[in-house]
Amino acid sequence: MSVTLLEASSLHISFGGVTAADGIDLEVFSGERLAIIGPNGAGKTTFLNICTGYLTPSAGSVRFGGRDITAMAPRAITRMGIARAFQSPQLFHEQCVIDNLLLAAAARERAWNPFRPLRERPEHDEMLALLELFGLADHAASMVNELPEGTRKLVDIAVALALQPQLLLMDEPTSGVSSLEKFRIMDLLVKALAEQGVTSVFVEHDMEMVERYADRVAVWNSGRIQSVGAPDQVLADPSVMRDVIGV
Amino acid sequence: MDPILLVLATLDGIAYAALVFLVAVGLTLIFGVMRILNVAHGAFYAIGGYAAASLVLSISDADFSPWLSFPALLVAAMGVGAALGLVIERFLLRHIYAKEEVLQLLVTFAAFMILEDVQRLVWGVQPYSATDPVRLLGTVDVMGIPYNAYQIILLPVIAVMVLLGLRWFLRRTLSGKVITAVTEDRETAIAMGIDARKVFTVTFVIGAVLAALGGALASPTTAIQLGLGAEMIVLSFAVVATAGLGQVEGAALAALLIGLGRSFAVYLVPELDVLVPYMIMVLVLLFRPQGLFAVAEKRRI
Repeated sequence: MSVTLLEASSLHISFGGVTAADGIDLEVFSGERLAIIGPNGAGKTTFLNICTGYLTPSAGSVRFGGRDITAMAPRAITRMGIARAFQSPQLFHEQCVIDNLLLAAAARERAWNPFRPLRERPEHDEMLALLELFGLADHAASMVNELPEGTRKLVDIAVALALQPQLLLMDEPTSGVSSLEKFRIMDLLVKALAEQGVTSVFVEHDMEMVERYADRVAVWNSGRIQSVGAPDQVLADPSVMRDVIGV
Repeated sequence: MDPILLVLATLDGIAYAALVFLVAVGLTLIFGVMRILNVAHGAFYAIGGYAAASLVLSISDADFSPWLSFPALLVAAMGVGAALGLVIERFLLRHIYAKEEVLQLLVTFAAFMILEDVQRLVWGVQPYSATDPVRLLGTVDVMGIPYNAYQIILLPVIAVMVLLGLRWFLRRTLSGKVITAVTEDRETAIAMGIDARKVFTVTFVIGAVLAALGGALASPTTAIQLGLGAEMIVLSFAVVATAGLGQVEGAALAALLIGLGRSFAVYLVPELDVLVPYMIMVLVLLFRPQGLFAVAEKRRI
């Protein structure tokens, strides 16, 4: 856990008087699972937006694999190997599950063919295997808009993995999933990440998830990183408990 | 109404609807993907017509087989559509995708006006017509009245082929699915790494070729002259608005509705023939402002 994959330095950004990032320095190491916690509106999602090119910070930089990606366009960043799963799933809701994955895989391969059917893509089996990994193989032909929210979130993560990223950014991967299901789903996800060697960052509100699945946790508070370290140490800190979790 | 007139009005309406559909479907496809209402579309229609008529006339001047005029119509449409579509998308529209809709509309309107002058410069003010294709296909008797096979068979068959081809392309093929995906949600497409810019170029060229094809196929049946483009763009706006923006199958049905409405007006109340398509549009929009076939836009958070 020593090779830096993503490095944010002195990020500043504010929206109409609210400072979401006020000198953020944060490193993500290759192969780890980093959780970001913090009060609502602290700027955690803003960080994901900066890393994927949807927002440009007013100061500071983000480097990925040694390259400055601060002002790059979202698509260029995706192509470099950063994929993202959203808090509310960003999928093509009027297409079926397997087509969503195939479209992502085709974009990854830069494929373009006006005559061959999408379903005949060579990545078809690979995508089915990916669905299988999440226990979603039965839903391959289901329309996205017919699926429950929790399942859609899984599909969204599967689509992100279909891009074969080096780094996966997730915004509350199990919110909207029943508490009975969330551990099973996270177990599957962690297994998938490990199998594909994907580094991950996830914004999380559920401390149980952080304790169980994060290698490190960063506490984002009032635009700053209040502390960063192993979950058992950080979560044992009384000031973190007070400021973030509210107890 | 005399049953023969009824049949004739229906056949006229279908033939006209076939041409209008080709133009309108390109317009609606471009709008669906790019969210730009392309006024220059009317010019693609007119220039497609001029180019086809010129090509067909030069084929008959050169004493080549007149049957070559059929491929000539297609070649003219593809050439005009691809060339104009590429140039306008690359050098004009690409700069205004992030701009307001009003500005986009004005820019495509400006392009329309410029292309209108180009037509005047290249083809002058006299009308062009090249009737070889109509003559070659002869007539069929409909209840004892001879009718152009070109209009009652070829045009509707081509329109249906285009409709089925587009459906297959958009629903099955990789590129078509990518275009559909960008239509549904551009942000998600970009997040997946889909090249939206390429999708825009391809869509615009497809739309432009369809409009030029409409013009090329119209050239054997009508005189191509100045003002034709303006007339067609307004009519196809009516079709697209009636169907609902971005609706491919809807455009076919709306074109049929408006085509038939217009041809029945020609036989029944000729004073109103120009007005009827717009009356249909206004009536539809009063009751369904989103158009006949569009689902009201869902709010995305």
